[in-house]
Amino acid sequence: MTAVDDLSFDVARGEFFGFLGPNGAGKTTTINAIVGLATFQSGSIEVFGHDVVRDFRAARARIGLSPQEFNFDRYLTVEEILLYQGGYYGMRMPQARARANELLERFELTDKRRVVPLMLSGGMKRRLSLARALMHEPQLLILDEPTAGMDVELRLELWEFLRNINAGGMTIVMTSHYLEEVEMLCNRIGIINEGKLVTLEEKSTLIASHGDASLQDVFLELVGRRTRV
Amino acid sequence: MSNFVGLWALVRREMKRTMMVINQVIWPPLITTVLYIYVFGFSLGPRIKDVGGVPYVEFLLPGLVMFNVITSSYDETSSSMFQQRFMNSIQELLIAPLSYVEILVGFLAGSVLRGVVIGTLVMLLGFGLVHFVPRDVGTYLYFMVVTSLLFSSCGLIAGLLGKTFDNLAIINTFVISPLTFIGGIFSSSSMLPPALAKIANLNPMVYMIDGFRYSYTGGVEYGLFVDGLVVLVLALAALAAAFIMMQRGVNLRV
Repeated sequence: MTAVDDLSFDVARGEFFGFLGPNGAGKTTTINAIVGLATFQSGSIEVFGHDVVRDFRAARARIGLSPQEFNFDRYLTVEEILLYQGGYYGMRMPQARARANELLERFELTDKRRVVPLMLSGGMKRRLSLARALMHEPQLLILDEPTAGMDVELRLELWEFLRNINAGGMTIVMTSHYLEEVEMLCNRIGIINEGKLVTLEEKSTLIASHGDASLQDVFLELVGRRTRV
Repeated sequence: MSNFVGLWALVRREMKRTMMVINQVIWPPLITTVLYIYVFGFSLGPRIKDVGGVPYVEFLLPGLVMFNVITSSYDETSSSMFQQRFMNSIQELLIAPLSYVEILVGFLAGSVLRGVVIGTLVMLLGFGLVHFVPRDVGTYLYFMVVTSLLFSSCGLIAGLLGKTFDNLAIINTFVISPLTFIGGIFSSSSMLPPALAKIANLNPMVYMIDGFRYSYTGGVEYGLFVDGLVVLVLALAALAAAFIMMQRGVNLRV
């Protein structure tokens, strides 16, 4: 079965890119192909000029992924998850410990450092997932539904945080079912449907070309679905 | 360029996992060893004449050490890989700048380490109870490490192919344990009827236990070279199969 077909797009350095599509459209498959969780039969993917297959170490070292589903190691505490993550990316222990402390503080997880993820709330798990993705200081942050399960207050905090790190130069690719957050955060938007890219434009151009409709209306029009009452 | 820091982190993670389930992995081998030595070695053993020129309890001990090396090595990689697949935490490793060779080596090194540690603890326990220690350290380490590598590789394959926890237990219950028990822990092939002895020759466990026993008793039934070669060939075959599966990302990458 072909999940994604004839897909080609670039994300510029420092961009905040929204990657949208209905369930099963191929968003997660595309992300998995970028990070090395899925193989592809033809074509190539480069991350900052590094081929994700041939030069996988350099490519992966530049990517941080916060996946849609939590996938923490059940035997490790919050702090250990970050330390081991640093280790897998080649960080030596003193460097990893300093970075973990910084992230635990930034994501308000310091008092949970000795707790296993099973004991965390959904919002805390999401913050831990982000902290883990940022542990090795990637240049490209991929967020698959980053605010799923978060309350409004936390979501606003996260938006602020993402804006700040993007302003600091980090490239961000985000998928989300919350179109208002994509509209608020992203500079450019790609919409995928049934494994094919149906549009790829600057957010302002995309919305203007559809008569200044909301992103939700544009999305529904492009994926061929109407709002059901 | 290799990621040695990442590889070491993975080995440490496997050791950490072992320590987290210490009640499942360390105490049972020690307790069952005490029971086997007590029941078969001390209670029934004196009624059996010497086997291979040594008292029965001394014949028994190396087999018990090897049995625990085999089961702990298989259990470690099979359950660790399966759990990581089941919980999706394997993705942490698959997206990291680690090659499939490094991931393979990390899992196997952690497992062989566990096998050697548990085997050595059982050996020390046996020394405490029976006052009998290996005389040939080189042979002892060779058979322990290569056998552990063989069953760690088998465990990794099972962990990659398994669809349920039940699948992993089936191999242990219906293949590894019976073959090990009839593979020379409790009896020598010279104690079997000739027809059964010929069938026993087809059991690969016989060669592992026979060669390992040499390190304790200095006696061997099949020949040390044959024993060593059989276990090495099997270990390399299992390692090659595990390598190919990791390279292809079987049940790891879509």
